[in-house]
Amino acid sequence: MLSRVVLSAAAAAPSLKNAALLGPGVLQATRVFHTGQPRLAPVPPLPEHGGKVRLGLIPEEFFQFLYPKTGVTGPYVLGTGLILYFLSKEIYVITPETFSTISVVGLLVYAVKKYGAAVGEFADKLNEEKIAQLEAAKQDTIQQIQDAIDLEKLQQALVQKRHYLFDVQRNNIAMALEVTYRERLHKVYKEVKNRLDYHISVQNMMVRKEQEHMINWVEKHVVQSISAQQEKETIAKCIADLKLLAKKAQAQPVL
Amino acid sequence: MASVVPVKEKKLMDVKLGELPSWILMRDFTPKGIAGAFQRGYYQHYNKYVNVRKGGVAGVSMVPAAHVLPSYCLSCKELKRA
Repeated sequence: MLSRVVLSAAAAAPSLKNAALLGPGVLQATRVFHTGQPRLAPVPPLPEHGGKVRLGLIPEEFFQFLYPKTGVTGPYVLGTGLILYFLSKEIYVITPETFSTISVVGLLVYAVKKYGAAVGEFADKLNEEKIAQLEAAKQDTIQQIQDAIDLEKLQQALVQKRHYLFDVQRNNIAMALEVTYRERLHKVYKEVKNRLDYHISVQNMMVRKEQEHMINWVEKHVVQSISAQQEKETIAKCIADLKLLAKKAQAQPVL
Repeated sequence: MASVVPVKEKKLMDVKLGELPSWILMRDFTPKGIAGAFQRGYYQHYNKYVNVRKGGVAGVSMVPAAHVLPSYCLSCKELKRA
């Protein structure tokens, strides 16, 4: 994986070098970004096990390479033969170091065989914790972005419903205008009626005053015109009429 | 004897035995090429035996073995003298 990154960086270096020869303006005009297909996206997972080896050292491919010609035991026979050849021809010299090497290698093999699995499990547990942390971080980021997307969609949906708000506002304004118009109309009516009532009451008052004045004037003149003598005659006639009426009234109920 | 593919830049396992010298001579021997070869070798070993989920003893044990064998070859002359 890292080798591929390094190789791609090495391949990008000459293109950057060539681009530097152009002027800055030309660079911005002609450089096109993101043209290739994104490779390694998503990143492929790590392989589960490494390449198989036998005896902890020799890769399996060597055994498969020799299998068609020599069968299963070929590489082992080759190894044994090589060891005996090196020993017999003294290409490999037996020194005191040989024995220490054999003891150390034997100890290492024993340790690996006995504790290898435990160490592997411990390392796997550490790895899994790390991966769990990263996975949790990734899930959190995904969740945050999902929430942001949902919020965005919600706001877009709200934008679609904005016209309700505008309708209500328009209705309110229309009603306020109507109310103001009617208030002013009523005010105009009241003012006009006030003026007309004023004129009517002025007229009524004039008529009443004239009537009263005339009555007073007539009364005064009549009272003035009644002299003392006329008053005595009038009272005597009234008394005589009353006596006549009393006699008639007494006569009526008898019948 | 000539292979079907005209360009002789093939992988080592595909090269036939007779073409081996010409193939070796054709490799890139500039410093950049040699560094690239070391890089390739290192990352091939790393990605195959170390950078896995459940590594084994192979990733660790191959390194001392690859160190011991050449160093023995270099010092076997003076071991023979003693």
